[in-house]
Amino acid sequence: MDKLTKVLTNKFGYDSFREGQKEIIEHVIAGQDVVAILPTGMGKSLLYQLPGYLMEGAVVIVSPLLSLMQDQVEQLKMLGEKRVVAINSFLSFEQKEMVFRNLSTYKFIFTSPEMLQNERFNHALSSIRIAYIVADEAHCISQWGFDFRPDYLRIAKWLQQFRQTNVLALTATATSNVVKDIKSTLLMREPYEYIHSLDRPAIAYEAVEVENTQEKLAWILGRITSTSGPGILYTQSRKKTEMYANELQKRGIRVAYYHAKMDQDDRILVQQQFQQGQLEWICATNAFGMGIHKDNIRQIIHDHIPTSIASYMQEVGRAARDGVQSIASLLFTATDVEQAFYVAMQDFPEEADIRLAYKSDNIQLQLPETTARILEYWKEVLTEQETTNLFQTIKQKKWTEILRLYTILQNGVCIREQLLHYFDEQLTTRPVHCCSKCSLHINEIIDNRKQPTENREELDWKMQLDKLLRS
Amino acid sequence: MYFQQLLLLIIHQFQGERSSTAPYYLLKGKKSGQTIQDVTYFNLHPYFCLYPKLAKETYDDEIVKLLTQNFIVMNESTISITEKGLHQIVSSRRPYYNGYKLRGKEFVFWGRMELIVQTLSQFQENEKKFVPVQKSNEIHQFVKEFLHQRDFQSSSFGTNFKHQLSDLLENPHLLEIHRNLFVYRLSGYKNSGLTWEQLATRYHMTVLDVKLLFIECLHILLNEITEEKYPDFHALTKNIYVQNPLTDSALKSSKLFEKGYSIEAIARIRFLKENTIEDHVIEIVSVDPNFPIQSFISDEQVQKVLQIAQERQTKKLKIIREGVPDLSYFQIRLALTKGEEVNG
Repeated sequence: MDKLTKVLTNKFGYDSFREGQKEIIEHVIAGQDVVAILPTGMGKSLLYQLPGYLMEGAVVIVSPLLSLMQDQVEQLKMLGEKRVVAINSFLSFEQKEMVFRNLSTYKFIFTSPEMLQNERFNHALSSIRIAYIVADEAHCISQWGFDFRPDYLRIAKWLQQFRQTNVLALTATATSNVVKDIKSTLLMREPYEYIHSLDRPAIAYEAVEVENTQEKLAWILGRITSTSGPGILYTQSRKKTEMYANELQKRGIRVAYYHAKMDQDDRILVQQQFQQGQLEWICATNAFGMGIHKDNIRQIIHDHIPTSIASYMQEVGRAARDGVQSIASLLFTATDVEQAFYVAMQDFPEEADIRLAYKSDNIQLQLPETTARILEYWKEVLTEQETTNLFQTIKQKKWTEILRLYTILQNGVCIREQLLHYFDEQLTTRPVHCCSKCSLHINEIIDNRKQPTENREELDWKMQLDKLLRS
Repeated sequence: MYFQQLLLLIIHQFQGERSSTAPYYLLKGKKSGQTIQDVTYFNLHPYFCLYPKLAKETYDDEIVKLLTQNFIVMNESTISITEKGLHQIVSSRRPYYNGYKLRGKEFVFWGRMELIVQTLSQFQENEKKFVPVQKSNEIHQFVKEFLHQRDFQSSSFGTNFKHQLSDLLENPHLLEIHRNLFVYRLSGYKNSGLTWEQLATRYHMTVLDVKLLFIECLHILLNEITEEKYPDFHALTKNIYVQNPLTDSALKSSKLFEKGYSIEAIARIRFLKENTIEDHVIEIVSVDPNFPIQSFISDEQVQKVLQIAQERQTKKLKIIREGVPDLSYFQIRLALTKGEEVNG
């Protein structure tokens, strides 16, 4: 057994690498910059975790999404790795100081982009040995990415003090424009690029155009009550998640809603109930999904047109991790395009906001948080006119992208082919169950739902305690 | 419904002498001189800081509901209970709370308990890798230490722990709903706890009501946990009771009083108004019965104030002062605070 496979077995408990993993890891260990694009669920975390065990020094992972960071720390701890720390705004001043003092004792240091500006942190980093730097969710670096985080752009300046350290950029979805942005922002020198096909042959696509909201609801209720899950129903507002969950509950489905406004402890419980099979369906906003480790999700339903093709691919990609045939259905009406654009533009700075930002130093109170943060960044690097132009361009692109998605759903061409084409990829082999434009036999893809299993027996604490702990 | 009952109880106890925001600040645990002093004045210790996360809109909604049902009446400066409202509470169960001493920290105890049960449950099924329901690092550290000090992987520890837990939950002070909420919130191997929403649906209650019942359950249990009876659980109550109930500012003044400074001197040293320091005195007296007040007011004067308050059935400073025009408002407040201590 070679060295890499040995670590894979001993530390991670797998017998063999998945496609692409080994090559990427070898390049990281060889000290080369790497850009790796792998669809969700294809073992991305292994790529930055494994080389750490074969190299001296700490791995520094920059991760823009706090919830994801938490999840990654937990996953490493579950593997028995104790030398993990997450440095972000959740830590108190004292906790941070404590971590900085002991920074050399950690193998995996997770940090948010905001922290890169912290001088004490940088000082502590400069005194330890760093094996390599990881830019996770690297698409957030690009303003063309669907999840643009202006704070992340600050990584460019920060990286200048680590010119000798190689960088590994990871993301699930990126168009060629985004890849270009990633490479230049991360100051990469002739990086090794690995782009895994975004195609997920086990997921069939279904686009359903309906007349109005009532028809949508009827279709969704019909589908969920007659076919089997587990599944996620994605919708756009908190209110709607609750409405769907309520309607489905009345029909005997074991379902819960999930959105960002819920208590953290309840969010965790809903996730776990879904993972353990206590729930068949989740009605959620796009807040749900990150850090869900469930292989057997069979259905993803969207009741709307998402605001970007990449985010749609990510949400759909949560199905069929186990490779078993699954289906992604999207319901839309003709007016949903405008709705999608409206949602996409919600936190988007208007011309007036930009003018305000350049006039006033204190815009946090007057503008939504995201808008203020984005503008504060651009104010530092661009003139007012340039910023106005920039956002006009981005707005235009956004509109084009949403229209493109609408066209993909509506025209007569294969959905899979078009989605791949958007990411500059050709479809090589068409799966048997491809999409609603090619051929789709729903009965062959998903099972009929078995009789409702929702049983409402009385709560009985003694019985429940017996289930939790042995006597 | 349950929350409404609680509000009625509190409003009743304010005796129509406070405005409609007073109960809100009480439940939130606002650390202002006024709120803290009211706790002692009106004997509201059980409800202080009972629900720090209470949203003003939620509170206002419930107040409106009480108004439309004619359980309470309100004007700009006061809120009070009606005959009809009074009728509502005499027939209902008196809840047990210990808000003043716990101040939301019962959830630290709960977090420890929850993680221990989850850990034991997972280990008993030999699934030692799991995602903890508790995310707080402090709780992780605490539980780790707690378990390592005990032989937690032995079957006898688990059995014993469960036995103690059953025994604790059998406590007659608990209602069946308390027990169910407690156990169904717990998570373990292949068994996740229920969300507040799910529990509320089961009981046809609001989420807020369910949470308040859950908090009551924790307060009752914590009251039962003594070192002799439940040594393991007692260890989980470490540092959850408030040690120093004073606000930071009052604490500073209190230290200067100990050194013998007068109100005027402290105000000068701290660049504060004398009024503020007087508020601190009230706050200090309400938590420390032994704090000497003779330099501010004589025993006879205290008695006189209390007598007037008793005769006229009020705690309104203005009315009381009519009987003792030579005393300041501060002295009257001091006397009333002292009086509550004697009675309470």
